[in-house]
Amino acid sequence: MKEKIGVYICHCGGNISDYVDVEELSKMFFAEENVIISKDVMFACADSNQKAMVNDIKENNLDAIVVASCSPKLHLHTFKNVASRAGINPTNYVQVNIREQCSWPHSDKPKDATLKAAGLIRAGINRVSHSESLDNIEIQVKRAVLVVGAGVAGMKAAIDLARLGNDVYLVEKDYFVGGRIAQSEKLFMSGQKGKDIIANLFAQVKSYNNITLFTGATIEKVTGSLGNFHVDINIKPRYIQSNANPTMLKAAMNDCPISVDDEFSFGFKKRKAIYKNYDEACPDVPVVDVEALRDADEFIAKYASCFDFKQQDAVLSLHAGSVLVTTGFDSYQPKEGEFGFKTVPNVVTLPEFNKLMALHPDKLVFNNKAIKSVAFIYCVGNRQAKGENKYCSRQCCTSAIYTSIQLNENYKNITAYHLFRDIRTYGKQEILYEKSSKQGDIYIRYDEKEPPVVSQGAKSILIKVKDFLTSKKELEVEADMLVLVTGMVARDDSKLISEKFKIPIGNDKFFNEIHPKLKPVETVIKGVYIGGACQGPKNISESVQSSLSAAAKINALLKGGTVSLDPIIARVNNDLCVWCGKCAEVCEYTAIKEVEEGDKHIARVNEAICTGCGICAPVCKTNAIEIAQYTDMEIESLIDGFMQEVTLTDNETESHEEAENETLKMKEFPQIWKNILQSIDGGKKNIPQIAEEISVDTDIVTYHVMTMNKYNVVMADGMDEKEASYFYKRKN
Amino acid sequence: MAIVNPEFANEIIQYGAKDFKACFNCGTCTAICNLTEKNANFPRIFIRKGILGQKDEILQSKELWLCYACGDCSVNCPRQAAPGEYMAAMRRYAIAGYEPTGLTKLIFKSNPLSIVITLLLAMVLGFFLFTMKPEMEVARWIFKYLPYEIIHTMGLIIFSFTALSMVWGMLAMIFKLRKIAPKESKTKTSFFKALSAVIAEMAMMKRYRVCDEEEDSFWLKKPLMMRPWAVHWAIMWGFIGLLIGTALDFAFKDPATTYWLPSRLLGTIAGILLVYGASMAIIYRRKKITRTYQQTTLADQMLLFFLWIAGITGFWLEVAVFIDADTIVNHIVFVIHTIISMELVLLFAFSKFAHAIYRPIALFFYNNS
Repeated sequence: MKEKIGVYICHCGGNISDYVDVEELSKMFFAEENVIISKDVMFACADSNQKAMVNDIKENNLDAIVVASCSPKLHLHTFKNVASRAGINPTNYVQVNIREQCSWPHSDKPKDATLKAAGLIRAGINRVSHSESLDNIEIQVKRAVLVVGAGVAGMKAAIDLARLGNDVYLVEKDYFVGGRIAQSEKLFMSGQKGKDIIANLFAQVKSYNNITLFTGATIEKVTGSLGNFHVDINIKPRYIQSNANPTMLKAAMNDCPISVDDEFSFGFKKRKAIYKNYDEACPDVPVVDVEALRDADEFIAKYASCFDFKQQDAVLSLHAGSVLVTTGFDSYQPKEGEFGFKTVPNVVTLPEFNKLMALHPDKLVFNNKAIKSVAFIYCVGNRQAKGENKYCSRQCCTSAIYTSIQLNENYKNITAYHLFRDIRTYGKQEILYEKSSKQGDIYIRYDEKEPPVVSQGAKSILIKVKDFLTSKKELEVEADMLVLVTGMVARDDSKLISEKFKIPIGNDKFFNEIHPKLKPVETVIKGVYIGGACQGPKNISESVQSSLSAAAKINALLKGGTVSLDPIIARVNNDLCVWCGKCAEVCEYTAIKEVEEGDKHIARVNEAICTGCGICAPVCKTNAIEIAQYTDMEIESLIDGFMQEVTLTDNETESHEEAENETLKMKEFPQIWKNILQSIDGGKKNIPQIAEEISVDTDIVTYHVMTMNKYNVVMADGMDEKEASYFYKRKN
Repeated sequence: MAIVNPEFANEIIQYGAKDFKACFNCGTCTAICNLTEKNANFPRIFIRKGILGQKDEILQSKELWLCYACGDCSVNCPRQAAPGEYMAAMRRYAIAGYEPTGLTKLIFKSNPLSIVITLLLAMVLGFFLFTMKPEMEVARWIFKYLPYEIIHTMGLIIFSFTALSMVWGMLAMIFKLRKIAPKESKTKTSFFKALSAVIAEMAMMKRYRVCDEEEDSFWLKKPLMMRPWAVHWAIMWGFIGLLIGTALDFAFKDPATTYWLPSRLLGTIAGILLVYGASMAIIYRRKKITRTYQQTTLADQMLLFFLWIAGITGFWLEVAVFIDADTIVNHIVFVIHTIISMELVLLFAFSKFAHAIYRPIALFFYNNS
């Protein structure tokens, strides 16, 4: 129970006091028990008032304060800081919102607004009198980061985190790093090859001793929380002798008699049973496809020194303070028959087509046919008004257009048809669109409701499309090849990752951040961050941007060795708890665990994970859980306070005009008002003259003089010679 | 069902279209055009037809001829796709498309070839001219090899060839426009109403005057007679006036020396109009005064130059008749005047000049629909 409470009621320069009788209220609460100070102030947030509050608290030894002003979203922290400066715990401060909740919405009924404000302030006083002093929760954190996925986003983030002095565990599911970028060829806008970018990044990763890279590794088990995650990873073997001779390995790769379809190249070529994804793939150690190599005894015998078939899956346990998930995306795979995919020959997806171009640098040939015309159908598997994937994948338009430009540059006389819905080559990518149309690419817009129909013609693929831009005229396009411009979808294993780390998944199946604008890389799980295209469709620059901002966030979090968390969390009363498990069931953050305490089982809240959402408190049968700052005591007294009857002194007879003419009575003017008054006391002056005399910006002086004019502190007194501005004098 | 023909775009470029492939269908050109309206929609839709290679639709369109090439669309195009120049190129393509001989195609597509054809024709005409003066030695030499009757028949054939080509072109256009014209509709105006609207438009060119309001009102600040429509009006009526005057002169065999005869008066006034109009048009093109005059083809320039020469030499001869007609210089001027005038008439069906026939036809269909 607090015995020395200070109450401050703000005029907000008229915003509140024009409708709410703040003076009456301040008098009313001065009479309240336990309230030592009750003031109405012009601007509670003004520096001068903040100083006065600190003095009041110190002089009167206040133990709690209430400010009735605007929304806590605006000034909660301002007054919490005032409390801190004056030496009282900020949790003993309550802000009451009488502007957005009283004066503004009830401006037509000033008396009722005052009544409501009285109720709210009393509720605040009651609440603060039961508040507890709480300290922030300090948690020791380990300066190590687990980065899941070594694509461009993960590698860039790992490099920066390592450079800033964090230990980094970089975990990649594939045997080779690089992800989708290693798989793609020339990239817009720079024309750099994905493989070159990856080789460069890998060299940097290797140069840092504090980055540990695991390839062929998957996440098995995750325990712990912010500051102390314990993650088990499973590492698949390569079946290569660790001390194998490199030249011998190379010879084995060349000699291998068994070839299988190369999935990395979409099956357009074969790969050996001992292989790398591509010649320059990193790390530079091949992998053995044990299944494929099973019967090649002769070959195995010949190169026995290279192989080690005894290798087995290994499980490693890692300890990290924070986790960055950069698992990337999957390319949408069209269904059979979708725009002729797999039912009409020569229909491929855009990633496949890019690979095909890379494999045929001189002359474009597919299925023994020289390709003279290529049609692109956009938005395949994306922007489906009625389907699952309602989003736009952002990068595919530019990607397809860039491919079309390369078609024109690499081969001669290939006609490109673009069957699109909307072209979204935002930002600098627009110049590619312009280049493509200038080079003669034909753009035909179709409506989602009437998509192109693909069939096999006599010589080539026949695409029937209604051109939206010529009143839906029916057109026929003949093309040797059809490229489906497929968008991005969430990886099919993202659900596993989500379950392990408890990252929420959106309707689009991508990982969800807390807030798209203000917390774009944070997840609701403290210490777990997301970056790159696992969060939603992004191009490479955007992926790297997001993963780097996550890296910066993580570094800021781990740098100090400890993390300070808000104390507003759930608390368990050990005596009352009988462990029914209901609270753990409803907790979305798995912050509640069963523990043994003495001779009984009770619930325990993990302070690092709990967000104080409060869902557990109402389900507890024995009322053993409460939320700090929202205890039953505080909430009930708050309600009681609001319900208490308020009587206002009847001053309705006082006419409105009279009130307006009355000079505003203020206990103290802000310093700048005093300066202005001092200036004009020496004779009437106009605003520029005042500004010059007190050396304050004219705009600021104008604002204050206008406010003073409104509250009858000053008044106009004729114009200057040029009739440019008014003179002002003090009003008595 | 129409097949997309990507080759067509390259063909149009040969007729003088610029970067029209850059068009991204925003429709700014149509939106700012003062002349486009509900049943006459251009230029965007035409660029679309060109890109998709819909040749027939272009030859079937009246809208091409409703544009007077103010150039505002080209100035405002966000992609610098030059829709104005594209429309002009399309009109050239249509002239070549209606005319059956293919001669127009050669003239429009190749500048050197157009010069060769013009010079060749000038030589033939010169040859004919000499045959008209049997007392000259050259003529006697010619008659040794070619009897006068054959030459006369050849002349008739050449003139018939031009006339027939023009008539064929007209019929081809009418046939194509009829094909897509709405058969019966409530809004359809009568034949005579449509015809009178065409004549009214030809007389005062109201639509062309609307065009002059474009280009940030550049022309509205200039005197009326300096505006493009006035220049065009002067050329057109100057030429028609001269044609009528020459015909009257020829019919009544007036003695050339009496200047107050109606046919002569008409010729003089029309001649002044023609020279004024042609001079202004040439100056505007030289100075590239607005977007319209920036992009000009050799065929355009030649037509204007011929009109101007024909006018100037005509005046020269008129003056010469009063002083002393029988000098070498005057003879040469007479030869030039006759050759140029004849070329204008003979190449009528195969040059930009043919628009004088095609535009009224298009206007008729526009008014009749």
